Amino acid sequence: MSYTLQFGQVTDYIPYLIGGAWISLQIAFLAFCGGMIIGTLGAMAKTFGGRIVSGLTNAYVAFFMNTPQLVQIFFIYFALPDAGILLTSYEAVLIGMTLNAGAYLTEIQRAGFQSVHRNEMEAAETLGMSLLQRVRYVVLPHIARVLFPPLSNQYILMTLGTSMAAIFGVEELTGRAFNINAETFRSIEVFSITAIIYIALTLCATFMLGLFGRYLFRAKMRLL
Amino acid sequence: MWERIVEEAPAFFTYYNMIFLLQALLATFLLSAIGCLVGFGGGFTLAVIRRTESWTLLPFRISGVVFTEIFRRTPFLVTLMMVFFIFQIANIDISLFTVAVISVCFIATAFIAEIIRGGFDSVHRTQWDTAEAMNMTLLQTLRYVIVPQAWKIILPPVFSFFILFIKDTALASQIGVVELTYAGKVLNNKGFSAALVFGSILVLYFALSYPLARFGALMERKLAPTGNR
Repeated sequence: MSYTLQFGQVTDYIPYLIGGAWISLQIAFLAFCGGMIIGTLGAMAKTFGGRIVSGLTNAYVAFFMNTPQLVQIFFIYFALPDAGILLTSYEAVLIGMTLNAGAYLTEIQRAGFQSVHRNEMEAAETLGMSLLQRVRYVVLPHIARVLFPPLSNQYILMTLGTSMAAIFGVEELTGRAFNINAETFRSIEVFSITAIIYIALTLCATFMLGLFGRYLFRAKMRLL
Repeated sequence: MWERIVEEAPAFFTYYNMIFLLQALLATFLLSAIGCLVGFGGGFTLAVIRRTESWTLLPFRISGVVFTEIFRRTPFLVTLMMVFFIFQIANIDISLFTVAVISVCFIATAFIAEIIRGGFDSVHRTQWDTAEAMNMTLLQTLRYVIVPQAWKIILPPVFSFFILFIKDTALASQIGVVELTYAGKVLNNKGFSAALVFGSILVLYFALSYPLARFGALMERKLAPTGNR
């Protein structure tokens, strides 16, 4: 094996890669926020909905949790134009990731919703609180502490999952790594720098989410 | 969209296309199954190494931690590309399937090591101390005290990791491994409409993953902790 690593050619591109990392973070953050909205509604539907509503939610969750995100985005990106819906690659990836995250976050939040004691829900109902008020003032404050660790874990996994966007030509971190690789042919160097940026990103995210969770929600979390 | 699907369906659901898809499904299954089996062995070894206390093994402990952190925090796609290009540059001629299996092994080792470490930690500290007080070696402690209690905690998340990887190996299509997603791309390039092809691929993945997920949930319920910890 006679290969000399030459980082010199690649180091010039580091600002370009970090710009890509910013787009990765954007995708992860937007998809996570969208997923949280779907997830909360889904968990509400599963807990308080009637048979039809919770059945539909179950079907949605089962479908998105048991098929690969990549193929879901393939479907959105390549099959929906047949039905007259044209999406840019960024939009397709974002929608795919949001729907996928929605399913996982529904499943995470459902466990929390079910842990709230029955008596408390009945008490809130007796006080004349509407469903949204009950969720907002009774359920969410209770479960935030328990759910924060699994939710932040999911966020980290989603940050890694954004690398999938590269396949559709979105120029985020991995996409830009592919570009540089095509220009310089320094594959090992490019992808090792990319990996280091991902590791740094997720380490920062773990640390900050850990601090946030510890002091805001008093969750039991490891900082590193 | 519907007319096109109905129109193409007879040409799509032919005997040879179905064989092709089923072989691809088998490749998807094998990819994650082999990866997770090897990963279980590797992860167990790493978790045991992290439990050792002697100073001479300190470098191994540190490299174990570094290994898990690196592979848990790098996207599968990037790992796949790294392994792919390293083999290319080293001029070692192995099949693309092997490249994908090796990448899955690395990632599975890292994730499963973390799961098993959590399982070991779930056994109460006093039991570790008692075993040590009875002059048991680390391996004896694991064999007679820890594993009989911890396997119930370890097995369900390892199984859900395996199911997760059935889906994540879809990314291996990017280096050209003929698994289910790649088969979909091939059929799509042959001219079948994307809705039909990727719809069938989604159904096949679902058919593979859903029963396994139900089995995992059942196992988790059956193995629920007995509360003597």
